[in-house]
Amino acid sequence: MTDTVIGDPVSKASRSEDLPRVVVAAMGSEYRRDDGAGLAAMAMVAEQCPDVLVGGPLCDPLDVLGMWDGADLAVIIDAVSSGAPPGTVHLVELDPALSRPPDDDQRSVGPNSTHGIGLVGVYRLARAIGRAPAKVVVVGIEGLDFGQGVGLNAAVQEGVTHATRHVVELIGEVGRCA
Amino acid sequence: MTHGSSVHRTVSIEGLSRVEGEGSLHVEVRDGVVEQVALNIFEPPRFFEAFLRGRGALEAPDITARICGICPVAYQMSACAAVEDAAGVTVSPAVTDMRRLLYCGEWIQSHALHIYLLHAPDFLGCADAVELAELDRAAVERGLAIKKIGNLLMATVGGRAIHPVNVRVGGFYSAPAPPEIAALADPLRRARDLALETVSWVAGFDFPDMAGDYHFVSLRSPRHYPIESGRIASSDGLDLSPSAFNQMVVEEHVARSTALHARLAGQRDYLTGPLARYALNSSILPQVAREAATAAGLGPVVTNPFQSIVVRAVELVFACDEALRLVESYEAPNPPATDVPLRAGVGFGVSEAPRGLLLHAYTLDAAGDITTARIVPPTSQNQITIEADLRRVVQGALDLSDADLGLRCEQAVRNHDPCISCAAHFLDIMVVRA
Repeated sequence: MTDTVIGDPVSKASRSEDLPRVVVAAMGSEYRRDDGAGLAAMAMVAEQCPDVLVGGPLCDPLDVLGMWDGADLAVIIDAVSSGAPPGTVHLVELDPALSRPPDDDQRSVGPNSTHGIGLVGVYRLARAIGRAPAKVVVVGIEGLDFGQGVGLNAAVQEGVTHATRHVVELIGEVGRCA
Repeated sequence: MTHGSSVHRTVSIEGLSRVEGEGSLHVEVRDGVVEQVALNIFEPPRFFEAFLRGRGALEAPDITARICGICPVAYQMSACAAVEDAAGVTVSPAVTDMRRLLYCGEWIQSHALHIYLLHAPDFLGCADAVELAELDRAAVERGLAIKKIGNLLMATVGGRAIHPVNVRVGGFYSAPAPPEIAALADPLRRARDLALETVSWVAGFDFPDMAGDYHFVSLRSPRHYPIESGRIASSDGLDLSPSAFNQMVVEEHVARSTALHARLAGQRDYLTGPLARYALNSSILPQVAREAATAAGLGPVVTNPFQSIVVRAVELVFACDEALRLVESYEAPNPPATDVPLRAGVGFGVSEAPRGLLLHAYTLDAAGDITTARIVPPTSQNQITIEADLRRVVQGALDLSDADLGLRCEQAVRNHDPCISCAAHFLDIMVVRA
């Protein structure tokens, strides 16, 4: 998998069409085994829904701002490690309330470092400048092995397939992927 | 915390925000006199120098780039220079120009990020960039647009926007075709215009009155504002080779910091970064940057550290203009890299990271493996000066409430855009007033 050009909201023809705009981005590294699950799912989504804007692996979280640019639906896929069985798919829709000023606990995590501008910080910033998508869904695929090397564990690969199906359904709900 | 006329006053900031990494600040004031300022850096040590030992010298640029996601090119360039110095190899002028062009991309990214998302909120009473965006959406949009063009430049020349993959010892793995580089011209013209707007914007901020007694140290080169190479100059007349600078820099461990504190042997502390570069090289800035500095009210030397944001904006103009110059004169280096036959030896590499001078020194064995490595990042070099700044800031602002004094201290630290992750090698603040 190669890096996809990211941050260019007009790199697909979708802007010129009067269709809902969908952005699918992924994080992770294909060279750290199951950490590549999000990228693998993104690639499968791109095959099934060629009109959506895909991008990843995201290097700079701020890059997602350029991609989002007021999209109707934004999906971010990443591998996660929560203790659930490998291959488990987690779907989380971001709460617009996150655009409110953070309380002290959130501040202690969010703005401490530019290295640490996370998804919530980017979402808040996107809301403030009017670029937030109407809907943002984070898809987590439970990984098992995050060591060096390529290739996913079988259970995680199965999770990738399930995650892809969920994402395609989400895209279908906004009418962008048959 | 206590405040006001009590004898003892402590200001403590337990988690300094909007800096790179984790640290804290402890200030003690007794009878109206600042007794102690301690910049505590507790980010775990990174051990990169140890990681390098036993690794092939050709791996150094990619290994050290991982020290920082904001200034990976700085690490790559200083690493390449050190290995090439050890091998006795000089790269072609076309490779030097392409390196400088890539480095401009990193300056544009880093300066835009620091000015708009990290430092400007301090001057406008905003808690963070989100509040700033709610106050002045156009400003944040401008900053993001500049940064995006920096990302584009990095991706075009370096292969991707963060942690470029196209850099190798001797040059690059591949040289972009001239049309790819030519396509950067219009975005860079746009970025230069936005950078000029940035200078005007930040020049209008209110700056606390303060003058630092700085010993400036930066690279200097005869023709161009320093980025990727040069000799080491200082405001008191030093003119050193990288090798001599390596000998002169003394680092010491202090208990409160996982980052070493650097000073010049037999001399006082010193300051690297935009204020130093500008003080020692403002005369050779291109006309558009010099005119912007003059219009912003800057003289040839700036000693108010709070005005570093203006100097950084002037450097942003420079970086965009310089990148445009290099784009317009681009000739793809052929070959894209000079062959670097490794040999036993010692090499030194210096370059100007966005936040200051970065030194790498390696010893190689006959097989080309690294046997010793020394990396002196800007924040290590600036820590003592930052503490001295804080002492002045607190002493001059004792009438402020603890909360306001804490904010002023954080702002003072951010004046120097420290990268604790690079140096720990950052910030909670505590002020004790007595």
